[in-house]
Amino acid sequence: MRLFSYIILSLFYNLSVSQTINYSSESIPKELLVNANAVVRINDMHIEIVALRQMKITHTRVVTVINESGSKHAQAYIGYNKSLKVKNAQAIIYDSYGKVLDKKKQKDFIDVSAVDGGTLYSDSRVLFLGYTPIQYPYTISFTYEVITDNTGTIPSWVFLDGFMVSTENSSYKLDFSSPELKPNIKERNFEGYAIEREEVNGGILYRANNIAAIKEESLSPSFNKLVPRLMISPFNFYYEGYEGTIKEWNDVGLWMYSNLLKGRDELELGTVAKIKELVNDEMNDLEKAKLVYKYVQQNTRYISVQVGIGGLQPISAIEVDKLKYGDCKGLSNYTKALLKAVGVKAYYTHVEAGRDKIDFENNFPSIGQGNHVILAIPYNEKYYWIDCTSQVHPFGFLGDFTDGRRVLLIKPDGGEIVTTESYINDDNHQKTYASVRLKESGSIVGDIKVLTKGTQYDNHFYLEDMADLELEKYYKNYWKNINNLEIESYQFENNKDSVVFGEHIKVNATKYATVTDGKLLLSGNLFNNSQYVPNRYRSRKLPFEVQRGYLDEDEYIIDLPEGYAVEAFPQETSIKNMFGEYEVSYALNGNQIIFKRRLLIKKGDYVNTDYNDYRNFRREISKNDNSKIVLTKI
Amino acid sequence: MRKFPIVISILFISIQFLTAQEVKFGEVTKEELLEKEYVNDKSANAVVVYKNQNTYYVNAGGDGMLMTKVHERIKIYNKDGFDYATKSINLFKTRHDSEGVSKIKAFTYNLENDKIVETELDKNQIFKTEASYNYKQVKFTMPNVKEGSVVEFSYLISSPFIWNIDEFRFQYDIPIKKLHAEIRTPKGFKFKQTFKGSVPFYPKESAERDNRIGMNVVINKYNLNNVPALKEENYVDNIDNYRAGVMFELVSVNIPPYFKSYAQTWKDVAQTIGNSDDYKNELDKSNSFDDELDILLANEDDQMGKMKSIFKYVKDNITWNGIDGKYFYNGLKKTLKEKKGNAADINLLTVAMLRYAGIDANPVIISTKENAVPFFPTVDRLNYVLAYAIINDKPYFLDATEEFSDVNLLPIKDYNWRGILIDNDSMKWDLIDINSPNKAQRMANLELTLNEDGTSEGKCSLRYTKHAAMDYRKEYKDKNEESYLTDLETRFNGIEVSNHETRNATTFEGPVSEFFDFFDENASEIINDKIYFQPLTFLKKGENPFKMEKREYPVDFGFPFKNTYVVNIKIPEGYSLESKPETILMKLPEDMGAFKYVINNDDNMIKLLVNYEINHSKIGADVYLYLKEFYKQIIVKESEQIVLSKI
Repeated sequence: MRLFSYIILSLFYNLSVSQTINYSSESIPKELLVNANAVVRINDMHIEIVALRQMKITHTRVVTVINESGSKHAQAYIGYNKSLKVKNAQAIIYDSYGKVLDKKKQKDFIDVSAVDGGTLYSDSRVLFLGYTPIQYPYTISFTYEVITDNTGTIPSWVFLDGFMVSTENSSYKLDFSSPELKPNIKERNFEGYAIEREEVNGGILYRANNIAAIKEESLSPSFNKLVPRLMISPFNFYYEGYEGTIKEWNDVGLWMYSNLLKGRDELELGTVAKIKELVNDEMNDLEKAKLVYKYVQQNTRYISVQVGIGGLQPISAIEVDKLKYGDCKGLSNYTKALLKAVGVKAYYTHVEAGRDKIDFENNFPSIGQGNHVILAIPYNEKYYWIDCTSQVHPFGFLGDFTDGRRVLLIKPDGGEIVTTESYINDDNHQKTYASVRLKESGSIVGDIKVLTKGTQYDNHFYLEDMADLELEKYYKNYWKNINNLEIESYQFENNKDSVVFGEHIKVNATKYATVTDGKLLLSGNLFNNSQYVPNRYRSRKLPFEVQRGYLDEDEYIIDLPEGYAVEAFPQETSIKNMFGEYEVSYALNGNQIIFKRRLLIKKGDYVNTDYNDYRNFRREISKNDNSKIVLTKI
Repeated sequence: MRKFPIVISILFISIQFLTAQEVKFGEVTKEELLEKEYVNDKSANAVVVYKNQNTYYVNAGGDGMLMTKVHERIKIYNKDGFDYATKSINLFKTRHDSEGVSKIKAFTYNLENDKIVETELDKNQIFKTEASYNYKQVKFTMPNVKEGSVVEFSYLISSPFIWNIDEFRFQYDIPIKKLHAEIRTPKGFKFKQTFKGSVPFYPKESAERDNRIGMNVVINKYNLNNVPALKEENYVDNIDNYRAGVMFELVSVNIPPYFKSYAQTWKDVAQTIGNSDDYKNELDKSNSFDDELDILLANEDDQMGKMKSIFKYVKDNITWNGIDGKYFYNGLKKTLKEKKGNAADINLLTVAMLRYAGIDANPVIISTKENAVPFFPTVDRLNYVLAYAIINDKPYFLDATEEFSDVNLLPIKDYNWRGILIDNDSMKWDLIDINSPNKAQRMANLELTLNEDGTSEGKCSLRYTKHAAMDYRKEYKDKNEESYLTDLETRFNGIEVSNHETRNATTFEGPVSEFFDFFDENASEIINDKIYFQPLTFLKKGENPFKMEKREYPVDFGFPFKNTYVVNIKIPEGYSLESKPETILMKLPEDMGAFKYVINNDDNMIKLLVNYEINHSKIGADVYLYLKEFYKQIIVKESEQIVLSKI
């Protein structure tokens, strides 16, 4: 039986190796050049899971770079570390006729630390080709082999590299030496694409040809949500010293807890005593947790040092206690340890962080998902979330970095997928009050109060820590519709318990109103003037989304200069549609104009054909926000 | 690297001795820890309480080494100051040699229960990284840092690159309370010092015997107190030009009977570079390109034509590898073979070819904007070379590295300061001004019809010259038409564009023109049967780029320019002009800039002419308030309206 499967396999190899390529750029099918800065001619990944502790990867990538913007798609680099060895990296560069221009061996590649700006140290490294193109188009063929003991994470696959790049041939082949080593494979976004799949005993192959480039359009979902791709994760594996078997998320949690977390939350007795003293006679667990979180926020800071177990294991709580810094893993584990010391339960939680919400896959357990760690504190049948890398966020408030998405709780008895707190539509509220005195010269003096909640709180509360010069820049940009704006004073009130941020600002500006022929023209929407209109596309291709939505309410009182009366108000407007609601009204009260506005933008996923309607909605808003009140001298 | 006779380095004899320090390591006071803000700058997140830098020579196994001892104490006021608890030391390296750091000592101090608590940096929290092929980094971050902490560290850098003394920097992006720096150089080695920045300081010079090297040394000491933070501003050429500091350059070695002079005047600099092998010998080897050039030049009769075709040939055939340089990276032969090279490979090849064609051509060495202004005669601080030709007594500058550069139209980075002409043949070494490009023009012509419903439509034609054209070409390059139009519509206030055409944008010569038809739904407002319309419509600037109250450094526009807008407006039938903005003319002092807004009308036509020009690429901070006011008036004027009323 085993012999038989090998025979099939070898046939299989011959089939795919026999494809030949013409390295000339002329041979690229026309439809692949539309909107493409680069064409991936061949992208062949071959993965062999030889044994529980051995995986071989052979990758060939041939890319024709059409122009300078396409250079980033050449991707002639490979990351490695102590447990992942790179062999036989080489590159050949061809001109547009397919003639060889240059050949590079592994020793010609540049070998540097893979540390980015935000990391103090990492033991990951990267080998890359420093090549200056001398003409466009050119073609670069890049091949390498990788050998690793780790079978816990298996390279995933995308059939298209990104926006503005097309694919001519893409194949992903995976062989495994025994049925237990057959991984879990999930296909995503295959609809509308002709992707071949062949499965034999001990192997699986995916192949796709001629996938046209996708042009990036504003408000579209992230590329990941559009691209046909494969996710691959093993059921049985070995990773950095530990074997594992995962069939469901519970197993992932258990594996992580017992191998990476267990025992790392010990603390020195002195620290335990200190933290107990800190919470003193507080009995309520939630209140205790707040005190501990505050202590962590005041005494530690975020520093990223990535060494050891693939960036998965936190440094011990004792170590963080000594250094008073750590990365998300270290600080979360430390906080969890402190909470434990005062008898409060908390769960270490893996999450995919970023403004773009990305969920953990429900039926696809793996150790490779997530890029950040937060804590969940269970209390009264509810989870309270904290991000221990932030020194400023209120307790229980995540902001738009980790909100509203499926995450993995790691409990001592296993893992569990839950969703973090969401901030949707009117949760993200901004209320602006202002009283304004308008002078005959067109100048204004204003007194403004802005209250923000939800994600709008997240966008405003950092003002509290800003330097004067930065604040001056901020407000002059925030109210850029008011030329000649001067900031007189500001005061902030950050209510962390109710998560409301208050700003009180006094401003003035000369010539806000235009003086024309004894008349004053001014827009009544002084302090929340939406000039945003999404880009126009002649034919919109992609769907679009509003991930969270928000509600803005404004109420301004404008004192007229003496001797002036309202000649005309702009039209009152009220719009309601699938995207949201917009209302604006003007009223006269003695010598005062009362301006009111309400704008609700709803969370939603929309199809491409709705885009124009949304754009028109925003344009209507922008137009109304800019409409002028006319005042005449009596 | 310069080579020195071994005799000199043998003179170094190693003996230890102590240097006096004004502020002792570890003697942190409670007052320092209690301090809540810096009185002189309350916006400072952290402050350098004290910095001591000591640079001197020692003997290390027969070779001289340049040592730099640093002691730094920093007070951290708040969370935004935590970045200053992380130290990153860059160590320069070549294939053979490398700088090193040792004796890292670092402590954090906190006040806990009214007691000073020290935490020492653990040695295994010091990380070393190969950052790139020419430098490595040693990084660490301090333990136990919180708001109010004081951190202190000291370390010793040893450098085998003994004649390259790094610039002493006396100003950071946080303020400095007290700074002491000292440099000891062996007597007979003359280092020229150049001071920069606007913070005054006065070095004290003395001499003594240094037993570490067994020589007399010259000591220069710098003491500065309360140095303000160096703050970022927009439109700045290179902030390093304004940072307080001192730069060192070896100008001569005089240890009788040995004497040698190094760059002292710009003429010396020119000679040093001119006498290098690259400029003296390699530059005139034409055998690698003569055949091809003969064919290329066969059809050109005059020198002008020859120059242009050589320039185009180099641009078309050789790609810049992104590396600056005044000396060859590949050399002429390899550059031609591989079709790529650094700035020197490309522009010296241009010189060589021009010479072969019989044109009077020479290299001009410069320092680009990214490399800051050199400030004093120096070889090391020049990083780039241009080709320079004279035809019929007229000068021509060429830089063939950039795709859209042209003759006398260099990339903006080249216009930094001056250039050093190296004319080996006629033994001429001159300093030439290259600090400002010629004036560029942007012209727009609108034929606009205003409709009764408040919309407008019409034709727009635009024309860009010189650097404005270069900017356009870079922006337009590789964009597909649809994406370009999307951006264009967004930039022009959401008008709808059709029949768009761009001419001459993919070459590098001459002006670029652009034509399109437009429809503007939001062109005007109708209130009470009156139409209010801003006549400059979507061409208006809209926002003052200079909003801040104060300015520290000159404003760098990159190039001088003149924008001219002509708008011919046809008003809808049944409407008459009720009022229009007034014509005005404004000027900046000393003819630095002007703004003209002229509006006329007859029957159903209104004609607007706007001229807006800035005559210098750089405008000093002393006239910033005028500039701010100038833009303010422009914005106000642009927002004024024409009022049309129904007849």
